[in-house]
Amino acid sequence: MYLAAVFLPLLGGIVAGLLSFVPDGGDKDRKHRIDRAGQLVTVAGMLLAAVAALITFIGVAGGGNTDNVEIFTWIASGSLELSWELRADTLAAVMVLMVTVVSSMIHIYSIGYMSHDGSIPRFQSYLSLFSFFMLMLVTSNNLVQLFFGWEGVGLMSYLLIGFWYDRPSANAAAIKAFVVNRVGDFGFALGIFATFMLFDTINFDTIFGLAEQKKDATLNVFSGEFHALTVICLLLFVGAMGKSAQIGLHTWLPDAMEGPTPVSALIHAATMVTAGVFMVARLSPLFEYSDVALTVVTVVGGTTAIFAATIGCVQNDIKRVIAYSTCSQLGYMFFALGVSAYSAGIFHLITHAFFKALLFLGSGSVIHAMSDEQDMRKMGGLYKLIPVTYVMMWVGSLALAGIWPFAGFFSKDIVLEAAWGAHTVVGQYAFWVGILAAFLTAFYSWRLLLMTFHGEPRADEVTMAHVHESPKVMLIPLAVLAIGAVFAGWLGFDWFVGEKTVEFWGNSIFVLESHRALENAHHSPLWVKFLPLVVGILGIALAYLMYMFAPGLPHALASGFQRTHRFLLNKWYFDELYDRIFVKPCFKLGRGFWKAGDGQLIDGVGPDGVAATVLSLARRAGALQSGFLYHYAFAMLLGVAALVSWFLVTGG
Amino acid sequence: MIIQSLAFYLFSIVAVASAVMVISARNPVHSVLFLILAFFNSAGLFVLLGAEFLAMILVVVYVGAVAVLFMFVVMMLDINFTALREGFLQYLPLGGLIGLVLLLELAVILGGWIIAPGAAERAAAPTPAIDSVNNTEALGQLIYTNYIYFFQAAGMVLLVAMIGAIVLTHRSRPGVRKQKISEQVAREDSIEMRDMPSGGGI
Amino acid sequence: MPDLVPALPEIFLAVMSMALLMAGVFQKEENAGRSVSYLAIATLVVTIAIVGVVADGRASTFGGAFVTDGFAVYVKVLILIATAAAVLMSREYLERHGIFRFEFPVLMVLAALGMLMMVSANDLISLYLGIELQSLSLYVIASFQRDTTRSAEAGLKYFVLGALSSGLLLYGISLVYGFSGSTNFDALAQLFQAGQSPLGVTVGIVFIIAGLAFKVSAVPFHMWTPDVYEGAPTPVTAFFAVAPKIAAMALFVRVMVGAFGDLGDQWQQVIIFISIASMVLGAFAAINQTNIKRLMAYSSIGHMGYALIGLAVAGGAGNAEARADGVSGILIYLAIYMFMNIGAFACILQMRRNGRMVEGIGDLAGLSKSNPAMAVVLATFMFSMAGIPPLAGFFGKLYIFLAAIEAELFALAIIGVLASVVGAFYYLRIVKVMYFDAPEEGFDGPVSMEMKAVLVVTGVVTLFFFVWPLPILAGAGLATAALLPG
Repeated sequence: MYLAAVFLPLLGGIVAGLLSFVPDGGDKDRKHRIDRAGQLVTVAGMLLAAVAALITFIGVAGGGNTDNVEIFTWIASGSLELSWELRADTLAAVMVLMVTVVSSMIHIYSIGYMSHDGSIPRFQSYLSLFSFFMLMLVTSNNLVQLFFGWEGVGLMSYLLIGFWYDRPSANAAAIKAFVVNRVGDFGFALGIFATFMLFDTINFDTIFGLAEQKKDATLNVFSGEFHALTVICLLLFVGAMGKSAQIGLHTWLPDAMEGPTPVSALIHAATMVTAGVFMVARLSPLFEYSDVALTVVTVVGGTTAIFAATIGCVQNDIKRVIAYSTCSQLGYMFFALGVSAYSAGIFHLITHAFFKALLFLGSGSVIHAMSDEQDMRKMGGLYKLIPVTYVMMWVGSLALAGIWPFAGFFSKDIVLEAAWGAHTVVGQYAFWVGILAAFLTAFYSWRLLLMTFHGEPRADEVTMAHVHESPKVMLIPLAVLAIGAVFAGWLGFDWFVGEKTVEFWGNSIFVLESHRALENAHHSPLWVKFLPLVVGILGIALAYLMYMFAPGLPHALASGFQRTHRFLLNKWYFDELYDRIFVKPCFKLGRGFWKAGDGQLIDGVGPDGVAATVLSLARRAGALQSGFLYHYAFAMLLGVAALVSWFLVTGG
Repeated sequence: MIIQSLAFYLFSIVAVASAVMVISARNPVHSVLFLILAFFNSAGLFVLLGAEFLAMILVVVYVGAVAVLFMFVVMMLDINFTALREGFLQYLPLGGLIGLVLLLELAVILGGWIIAPGAAERAAAPTPAIDSVNNTEALGQLIYTNYIYFFQAAGMVLLVAMIGAIVLTHRSRPGVRKQKISEQVAREDSIEMRDMPSGGGI
Repeated sequence: MPDLVPALPEIFLAVMSMALLMAGVFQKEENAGRSVSYLAIATLVVTIAIVGVVADGRASTFGGAFVTDGFAVYVKVLILIATAAAVLMSREYLERHGIFRFEFPVLMVLAALGMLMMVSANDLISLYLGIELQSLSLYVIASFQRDTTRSAEAGLKYFVLGALSSGLLLYGISLVYGFSGSTNFDALAQLFQAGQSPLGVTVGIVFIIAGLAFKVSAVPFHMWTPDVYEGAPTPVTAFFAVAPKIAAMALFVRVMVGAFGDLGDQWQQVIIFISIASMVLGAFAAINQTNIKRLMAYSSIGHMGYALIGLAVAGGAGNAEARADGVSGILIYLAIYMFMNIGAFACILQMRRNGRMVEGIGDLAGLSKSNPAMAVVLATFMFSMAGIPPLAGFFGKLYIFLAAIEAELFALAIIGVLASVVGAFYYLRIVKVMYFDAPEEGFDGPVSMEMKAVLVVTGVVTLFFFVWPLPILAGAGLATAALLPG
């Protein structure tokens, strides 16, 4: 079952990938049939995988069936021994279930969304392969297999963001995502090396077993002694920051909106961005022994949460708003991890997967209806025209804002309570920042809803005339995800973070006795429990005030606080900063090396000179081959004579 | 004893001298004749060693069969050996030099004459004592029992040589009329029955 | 009565070769070739099974002249696979050229028999007989296309030079025998345990090295290689490039390590010399070639140079671990070499335009457009031969160079790396021609099923060796352990 859950998407992806090579010969019917086959095989693969994942999940989480599935030995070199292996514990099973379910919804949705596209099998194949790599990542039992999946999703995200490769902006965004992720991956790879140095293995079981012994070990870095586990955790966390778009390495995420909307949903809701969160949770036995690393995780998470939320308030592209919201929510998950409330972080990850996928697919449905218009300033007044989508977006937004009884309420509350319950300075920081971000979240969510669906239609008449509700194949996935967005919270609460949490997680998550944030969270004062809900409602109210009842207010505010507005609109100038600090100097340096260093110095002396020498040597070597038997025989005899003489002269 | 020594030197000198003549004689027929002479002298050396069976085989097989076959081939093909030798002479100086160097080096090695201890005994070990069995039996034992593997392997090599010779030279020529006795006897169309008018003749 | 079980594969092959001969003779001429060739493949496959069944530790028979052990089993399997693949690949070519006679597969089987005997040789005489059986079969099939001058000339050249090399080899054997009194490897090894030997034996070893270097076409005994590769029919060249090289290299290892292992410091220098010479010449001389078969000839000279590094490492006295790594490096290299070369030649065999074979590198121009699948496959093999990770060829070189570094033969490793950089030039040139030059007319289609099978198998092994390298690594490990106990 476990194998099926992981490898069916691969199978589907390969078949669909091969299908994309089948020539259609310009025949429309034939092309249609090929497209259908590609959709069918990938969707079937994902759905079956989801069923298999559900059965596995019940077996693992319910029955405690935690036998790892070893596929075969991969590398055995010296003391480095690795297998392809599927780790069976609750953490992995939860992730597998979430990935397969959300991904299969997105697969189905894509059938409708991409129906006018020219290369459907390729798209479906990418989606399935992406899911496979993600599954490989979450089921890995050693760091290298994790890295394999990690790089795999990086690669597939590159291909998916740049799926419309005839658009320069899509290519640029794809490259940006890839490069920024490389920065993180570099840290991750160094972290793996350091782990191997310290533990002499990179298998999870062994590492986790040894972690306590090594808690005081030191590692020599640049001739300074550092606490080994801190070094390792920080390096690995750099990788997590890249994948999960935390502040500093977040710049690729909004640009990644260039990809088709299902891709945005897949990347931002269920899979790639959660990889970092998952990895930190998976490595909880290491992080637990490094207070420094946990502090860093908390601060980075909290800062990202508020930073992204502020930007989200002023963006006008519907998908970018949601992208920044993702960034912000990931910040929540990270500070939950940072205060040792791993289960709360993963809980938020799961609920977030549902409602964020719902929001993305809903906005995709809006964009679809608006003939590919993404700017909210050109929307408005749509709620009567696409009522189902409207309802779906409401459900998603309520969940995102954390309004009872939607999923986000449970998970966001427990995250914030855990931050409070940590009773540390950074915990307090995270809590207050999180409260503020919750307010902003509610605000920009309703800003989005109001600008899109209410008020006067601001689009031209042609577009408005075309507005239509999406087909069923797109709405059904929305409905399924909406069910998740409504019920996932209170269904999962007890298991994930409530009374049954210990037996649910088994030993897949490790928390030191002294880190009691999650327990304290359940005993936090009443105002802590209600504050998030209150600020959420306040945020909604503010949005109504500004965009419904006093439509002049936003404009007045923007012109009143011009600098702040521009600062936010330009995303805190991160892109410009990076451009100035890294990109431009790099280009300059590269150009210098290319023209002066490589072109004149190296090519002149090196390749060109060497090449000329090689060619003349080659001519001479070729000339030896005369074709005459005599010469050949002579060469042999000369060789023997020379070797024997050499022996006799040197004395053997 | 002295007669044996004399005979040894006689046979050896003649054998070496005729071997030189094989490669230097101008007339190829002479070369083959010298070859036969060399075989005879080698046979003489075998007799001196007490290997009379080998001596006889050498005469019978090499002189009686192989050399005579050579002779036929040489006479039938009429190869112009002088033309072949032109190229040979051209490379003589260099070739001679290499040969000389090698020869000198081998002389040094043989001159040192350091042999691993017990080499002679080891070399003689497989041979049965000469007074217990006769020559033929000893050879038979070695070839067909001790060294059966080598014997069979050599047989495979000869098989390949045979296949190779046939593959590379045999051609089925469509125009050639072969004798197929059974078909020829069974032919019916070759006989024609005719009614002859009496007294008319053919 | 000697124990025949260890020699069962050879006996089976010998009997079957004669049976195949009969089968061919008593069939109609027009389909004899095809049916015998399929029977030959079946025979070779069955022989692989027999090799596997008989394999059981070390066993020697025929008075110690014949030995079978893990080393022999590993190499025999490679040889039999390579031979079977060569027979499979030759059918189409021979049929097109109207020379598909049943003797061809029979001679291939006999050559394979010779190679198995070489690998199992534990005596200088059986070594020589194995080599002769193999060589004689190869001489014949080199000139199998007897009506073209090039093929006949190739066979003749190969024969004359091969005879010369056999002479050198025999001379070396007689020197060794004369100065030591034995031809048996075990006896020789015991005799030279102390690392001392008479001068005559040492010179004899040099002659033996010369004779064997001819068979693996190592410089300066390589001169026949380009001419013979070019002249022989292409499937024959494919065969030459793989199976005899593997057999001769294995024999080389067996003799040098098995019989003269403790004299390593005497012959190591010679091996280092011919290894360097082969790598350098293989890299440089190939650059100017325009004929792809000649290019493959120089390529195989270079590859043998790399493999010889392993032998040089194995000759280093003292460091037992490095010696073992050297031997297993060779064995891994040979296996990878086999897959790459069979695949590359399968591509070359597809170079057919308007019913005629073409062999120019220029004929590949624009292959990526006219036949993209083949271009991808050939490019894979070329990248692998150039040693570009993560393809199999990279790992072959990696293990060899690592062994050299472990044995502190740094100069050898450095020259090896440099030579492979130069060598990469001509492999990549082929890729460049295929992908960037103005297209020529496409090759004749379609690719036959058996060729597709060969290409897929070799391509997958070359491409995905790194995913699951264990079978080859483990096999080589066992083989090495058999040769170098302890």
